[in-house]
Amino acid sequence: MTKLRILSAGPMTSLQDAGRPGWLAHGISASGPMDRGAFERAGLWIGGAGPTGIEFTQGLTFEADGPLAFAVDGGAYRLTLNGAKRSWPSRALLRAGDRVEIVPGAHGNYGYVRFGADIEIEAVLGSRATNSVAGLGGRALAPGDILCLGPALARRTAPHPRATAPIEGATRVIWGLHAERFSLEARQQFVGSAFVVGSRMDRMGVRLIDRSGVFRDAAALSLVSDAIVPGDIQILGDGTPIVLMRDHQPTGGYPRIATVINADLDRFAQLRPGAEVRFLPVTVTHAQELMT
Amino acid sequence: MPPLLVPLGDCGLLIRFAESLSDAANAAAIGFGRRAIAAGLPGVMEVVPNLVSVLLRYDPRQVGFDRLAGEVRLLLSAPAEPAAAGANHLVPVRFDGDDLDEVAQQLGMDPATFVATHNAGPLRVLATGFAPGFVYCGLHADPMRVARRAAVRPRVPGGTVLFAAGQTAITSTPIPTGWHVIGHTAFCNFDASARPPTQLAAGDTVRFETLE
Repeated sequence: MTKLRILSAGPMTSLQDAGRPGWLAHGISASGPMDRGAFERAGLWIGGAGPTGIEFTQGLTFEADGPLAFAVDGGAYRLTLNGAKRSWPSRALLRAGDRVEIVPGAHGNYGYVRFGADIEIEAVLGSRATNSVAGLGGRALAPGDILCLGPALARRTAPHPRATAPIEGATRVIWGLHAERFSLEARQQFVGSAFVVGSRMDRMGVRLIDRSGVFRDAAALSLVSDAIVPGDIQILGDGTPIVLMRDHQPTGGYPRIATVINADLDRFAQLRPGAEVRFLPVTVTHAQELMT
Repeated sequence: MPPLLVPLGDCGLLIRFAESLSDAANAAAIGFGRRAIAAGLPGVMEVVPNLVSVLLRYDPRQVGFDRLAGEVRLLLSAPAEPAAAGANHLVPVRFDGDDLDEVAQQLGMDPATFVATHNAGPLRVLATGFAPGFVYCGLHADPMRVARRAAVRPRVPGGTVLFAAGQTAITSTPIPTGWHVIGHTAFCNFDASARPPTQLAAGDTVRFETLE
């Protein structure tokens, strides 16, 4: 059995798989990778990856004690294998004692390592995804952690799958559950203004800096708690917008002006603090056409 | 008011029965949730009853919003069968919460009267949400209504009994909360290894009893 030793790990490094959908009625959101596309690409590129991978943030160093295929993708990190520079994204076959070091590069908050073997960890409600808010499933990783991997999976030759989403441009949204509770002026300014990604971000949500004061005068509304989906943009009582992400609470009572569409949520998750973000409303039909 | 059908992102359709919480709106949501599960709507992956709404999470590759909304309207217009009775649960509570005295005072009661009034009638499980196994129970009769606290407690443990907005809630995992802490219970509504992982379902009946 191959063991993987974590030598260094940035904050919020966790195990993720495709997620844990289907348990909202029990108060559990689906979790899963912040950048689903990157997670999937890394898996496809191996040509036979285990369902569970590592989501990392500000860097990751690990070594394996036996042969192990791996691929990395997501954002733009810098990768070295035994000190030799490799391209990003990348794939390789590790030998015993090989050391992989990943450090932050030009852009992105989240990167993924997938392996040509299963990471052996118990499933919780059918998934190995770490839900950081509910403290459920998977696990957070720290230096010194050792992961056990099962036998090597059968692999076929696979070309690198291309990322399809455009890297630039506005973040597209569908008007939200409470959009009409906001004044016409606030809605117009929400579309016309630039927001800035704040430094307070995690798997639950990303705070935005409302530089133009779009929601400065938004009245604190008393709303009945209702269903939340990933990408919902809620406005706190003090006017702070928060984009809710994969470990969102299943329900919430803050007004939601819009929802980031699925096709743009991965890209949004990769925006670093300080990045400017503009929102562009689209129809549900258009958003769904972009998903296929 | 007829229920409102609105998109929640590009994979969600929300059927909303009211803008504020009432017994009627909650019963309508629970009833429709059950019918939606029984009907097996096309492309629907998950049916989630909330306090006054039902979320349908669907796969747009299988069904579009407009077609699903049409199916939902058909289901809404069909005569509703009488709701099946939910399960009955008895939840023993130690009424030793830090906010018990303050809540009682706000309602002009002494703590013992508050507890007696609180436990007097059966409550309905209105919804599960917010956190694993977190249930909202209600609605308490009119005088038993207090607003949430101004300050949020960063963490209360699982098994905390909370009170606000005419409802009693039970936590199953540690959470932050702005509700009043009135007591604690050994009853745990969440077990990840059990199927289903929660015991209380929306529409069930809950009775609270005082554990001395």
